[in-house]
Amino acid sequence: MTTALFYILGIILLAATLMCITRRNPVHAVIYLVAGFFALALMFYLLGAPLVAAWEVIVYAGAIMVLFLFIIMMLGLAPQEVPEGPGWQRWLPLALLSASLMACTLLLILEDPAAGQKVGGFYLAPQALGEALFGRYAMAVEMVSFQLLFATIGAYLLGRPLPKGEDQ
Amino acid sequence: MLDSYLPIITLIVIALCFSIGSVIFSRLIGEKKPTAIKLSPYECGMPPVGSARERFSIKFYIIAMLFIVFDIEVVFMYPWAVMFKRLGLFGFVEMGVFILILLVGYAYVWKKGALEWE
Repeated sequence: MTTALFYILGIILLAATLMCITRRNPVHAVIYLVAGFFALALMFYLLGAPLVAAWEVIVYAGAIMVLFLFIIMMLGLAPQEVPEGPGWQRWLPLALLSASLMACTLLLILEDPAAGQKVGGFYLAPQALGEALFGRYAMAVEMVSFQLLFATIGAYLLGRPLPKGEDQ
Repeated sequence: MLDSYLPIITLIVIALCFSIGSVIFSRLIGEKKPTAIKLSPYECGMPPVGSARERFSIKFYIIAMLFIVFDIEVVFMYPWAVMFKRLGLFGFVEMGVFILILLVGYAYVWKKGALEWE
């Protein structure tokens, strides 16, 4: 059952990604990307990593998606004409993907809430992750902190106002 | 085991009923006297000023990137928080150093005025 769900999620993920890279309208592409993120989150859950699944939603669907949207807003793309045909027809693929994702989630819950332990027979409890991260990999965590510091300063440098008297 | 999901399923059902119900009922029992003014698009109660499809300032992007940085910081706090007691003083100091390093960056961009919006 969980193995079947895994493959179904794989198909949803592939379909969402294909739709994402073939859309002409970049905002539509981002929406399909988010559908893909949710499929990926469910996959991580199935593989026995519930915390990673939650991060996939919080960080990727929540934050990275905003970054994509702001890039689109910054590019100032030419306005797109709205294609012919009723609106529901344009959104049918996304509605189908979302509905199947929802069905997968419900199946996962109804069948066995602890299903995550089945595929691969591996389960990463958040507690175990915390113990590994802040015990064995303590140094790596501090290095990540430095990386984030560079990212903060890099983000500022990218968008800082030009100093006076400097062109481009 | 399913019992633990009961509250969230109840919440989903209530949310669905409310959102679909309010659309259907306002359509059924609402009064409709459309005029040209009522049907025209508006922003914040004002007539629209121009197209919304403009280039936006890079400031939005900087805020978004800073948001992601601190989002990742919080990501590291979840596994730390569930093991807070077991990790003891070492974990506490480690998280303190982690946050301190990030605070340096935060103080820098704050001082440089990247968070100002003029």
